[in-house]
Amino acid sequence: MSSTTDAAPTSESLAGTPAAPKEKSALGKIFWISIIWIGLVFLLAIVASWIGLDDPNNGNFALINSSPSWSHPFGTDDLGRDILSRVIYGARVSLIVGFGAMAIGMGLGGTLGMIAAYRRGAVDTLVSAASYVMLAFPALVAVIAIVAFWGHDIWKITIIVGIASTPLVYRVVRAATLSYATREFVTAAKAQGATDTRILTRELLPNVLPTIISYFLIGVATVIILEGALAFLGLSVPAPTASWGNMINESRTYLSDNPWLALFPSMAMFLFLIALNLVGDVLRQSFDVQESKL
Amino acid sequence: MSTEQSTTDFPTTEELSGPLLTVKDLRTTFSTPRGDLTAVDGVSLELGRGETLGIVGESGSGKTVLSRSIMGLLPRSKTTQTGSILFEGTEIVGAEDAVLRDIWGAKIAMVFQDPMTSLNPVVRIQRQITESLRLHTSMDKAEAKATAISLLGQVGIPSPAERVRAYPFQLSGGMRQRVTIAIALACSPRLLLADEPTTGLDVTVQAQILDLLSSLQAERHMAVILVTHDLGVVATRTDRIAVMYAGHIVEMASTKRLFASMAMPYTQALLRSTPRISDPSHTRLTAIDGRPPDLINPPTGCAFAPRCTYATDQCRTEAPPLRTAPEDPTHLFACWNPLQTGHAGSVTTSKGEN
Repeated sequence: MSSTTDAAPTSESLAGTPAAPKEKSALGKIFWISIIWIGLVFLLAIVASWIGLDDPNNGNFALINSSPSWSHPFGTDDLGRDILSRVIYGARVSLIVGFGAMAIGMGLGGTLGMIAAYRRGAVDTLVSAASYVMLAFPALVAVIAIVAFWGHDIWKITIIVGIASTPLVYRVVRAATLSYATREFVTAAKAQGATDTRILTRELLPNVLPTIISYFLIGVATVIILEGALAFLGLSVPAPTASWGNMINESRTYLSDNPWLALFPSMAMFLFLIALNLVGDVLRQSFDVQESKL
Repeated sequence: MSTEQSTTDFPTTEELSGPLLTVKDLRTTFSTPRGDLTAVDGVSLELGRGETLGIVGESGSGKTVLSRSIMGLLPRSKTTQTGSILFEGTEIVGAEDAVLRDIWGAKIAMVFQDPMTSLNPVVRIQRQITESLRLHTSMDKAEAKATAISLLGQVGIPSPAERVRAYPFQLSGGMRQRVTIAIALACSPRLLLADEPTTGLDVTVQAQILDLLSSLQAERHMAVILVTHDLGVVATRTDRIAVMYAGHIVEMASTKRLFASMAMPYTQALLRSTPRISDPSHTRLTAIDGRPPDLINPPTGCAFAPRCTYATDQCRTEAPPLRTAPEDPTHLFACWNPLQTGHAGSVTTSKGEN
């Protein structure tokens, strides 16, 4: 293969200067604070057993419903359990259910959505019809019914909520893929001999990934609220395991005696959800800007 | 078969005999809500190795559909194809994707009209070039990358080793089209289909890209089908030209012969509507009156008759067959009242200089 330098009388080549490195600061302070907060919650949930927290499930009966103090920064509950410890352990449940369920939803709904949008035809008609059937059924009622019969351990709740989120994810991912599936670069990839799997994973997936990521984060937030709703009905993880939803549910009885009991898990949930939503929103916007630059 | 594996090998003498591509009575029909639309209607042509064929026609004449049919790229669900397309002994019409995948990229490649849309916006150009190398050859990642850089150099992109890491939006239009050419050439195809490769580019870049294609073609002994609406583009860069109208080939001849003695009034009309630099400024652009016919309900007789100044009653009732010119058997045309050599002569001289 000889080089042909004489074929390079390019005036237009001057226009294409190498790109400047992407500016991270463009995402803003709030974005980074949110990221740090989400990271901190993750970290604490993971290392909870090793940082010398009080046992979240066995309390000190001599000290029930106490206000925040040096030994118990968030106070104690009606059974004398340390609220800080329970909030941190409770994060585990919210994180596992939230991220686990959305991972299942994305895995199932996302894959089906991409395939349906790319293949169209009978596959698309069938899966879309199935998604409409599932969407027409009130999800919360279905989840409550299944959890009530099947049992409410954390993994079962994750699977059920994950499957319940599938049709929503399917519709979003299908719509996002649809706008790229008919673009010429897909035909061009096909004209190079790429297989369908390759086109889906290497041509289409990078294009729909921004949508998937931002929808994933907002989906996690929704699922965490759903877990709270289930807990409020006594259908989340069984006692004495702490979850943010469970704690808020338990605090109902003692609201006037010990408002701390309700405040801290509510604050944890509120701050975590707002961080997730902000990150998802900023990411979506920054991807939108890139698209318009093209 | 192993010759395709390497970009340096030339076809063996045995492979060189016989045409590269034979299209026989190809008919491509789309089913639309209004009825069946025959976009390519009974096209036959042959292409030799290393030959350049220009396919010319206005919008909707079926030239793009013809080039995509040759590649077998049209969606199956709404298209029906009859006839035959033989490429190196392989039948393309009705072939399974698995068969075509060995041909796509490796033996037939395509340069698309708009590099803005035919490059994936979120994938680095390195991966877009190495994609087909990794699919069709046994190169590993490092070899494929080296080949990609060398290809970018060959298509005239400066500092290719850095540009290979770029995304399409970081390149100008002309550079992007060079990248799509590099992608198409990656596996040294025998046939390159260029579908209006310069339409989206400005005039100075157009000439550069076309010259690049010609030089790469000569170097690689590759056949090229150049699809365009601009007779000026194909005038100096093709061996033969096929003029298409309403899904038919209405005239086909060697480039020299076509410009010297075109027989079809449509070809003449196309040529007249090409703006010329030698024209004084503010010259009115000549356009062909009327519109291309409705391909769902094609008119009886010659499809060009309603727009043709030479049309007679016979033209409106009876479709002219494709026949050979008496003085040159390779010159085919479909017209009842072919132009006299003198008709076109005045146009030719001014065109020949460009």
